[in-house]
Amino acid sequence: MTLERRDRRLYYYRSVREGEKVRKVYVGAGEIARISHEGDILRRTEREAQRKREKAELERLETLAAPVLELSEAAEVLARAHLIAAGYHRHNGEYRRARRA
Amino acid sequence: MPGELELSEETRERMAELRGLSEKAEAGDDEVRKELRRLVRASSPEIIGRASDIARRAKWMLIKTISAEDPLMEEALEARLALMREEIAGEDASPLEVLLTERVVSCWMLVELFDVLMAAQLWRGNEKPVSPSYLKHMIRWQESATRRYLAAIKVLVQVRKLLRPSVQLNYAEQQVNVAGDLKR
Repeated sequence: MTLERRDRRLYYYRSVREGEKVRKVYVGAGEIARISHEGDILRRTEREAQRKREKAELERLETLAAPVLELSEAAEVLARAHLIAAGYHRHNGEYRRARRA
Repeated sequence: MPGELELSEETRERMAELRGLSEKAEAGDDEVRKELRRLVRASSPEIIGRASDIARRAKWMLIKTISAEDPLMEEALEARLALMREEIAGEDASPLEVLLTERVVSCWMLVELFDVLMAAQLWRGNEKPVSPSYLKHMIRWQESATRRYLAAIKVLVQVRKLLRPSVQLNYAEQQVNVAGDLKR
């Protein structure tokens, strides 16, 4: 977004992405240019703050889930080791008694 | 307390050893299976102890988050978890079954947490709608937590079914296998 001053008058343009290209779109001049520009800055700041909030929230959830994943991994490894040590083997996700050679 | 929420390096090494030996033994090597049996006996108490510590801390953190530090809600959750644990583990559960029960309960809490958070996001009166990318993350985590919860139940059932002592009875010339708790 650009606010341009020409001949003592303000002109406001927004950048609009169309595929790979970025096009400059005229919004308005004078007071309209100023108000639109300030509105866009406000919205952009709000979006940025929301992105930061969401990132922090996702990180917090990841921290909460991490110990459960650790516990899950340990339990899975140990259960499998117990079952295989007892003479079972996995077949399509189910445990079966291993055949003696 | 970040270090207390992770397994120690030593425990991870034991787990890697168990994983490696399990894979080899599953391929049919009897000698490796004997070695695995020895290692399972030697390292189970340590791994179960460490993982149970983590389960306790994870439970505490999840309760605090789900209840939003409301003491009444905290107590209600504690009671619900104790009841679940009792119902799932039952009497005379082996240490491995107790650990697998802890896993089921922790996974259930994680599913609950994601359900509560998703419900709050999708509530129509929500004044601060979140971005689609945030929702996508949440949905992915919710699905993964549910899958993990179901897998946890399945492993507990398998262990209970296959590792509990069973007896073979010959009754009226019919062979009957009785598995599970022999006291009942």
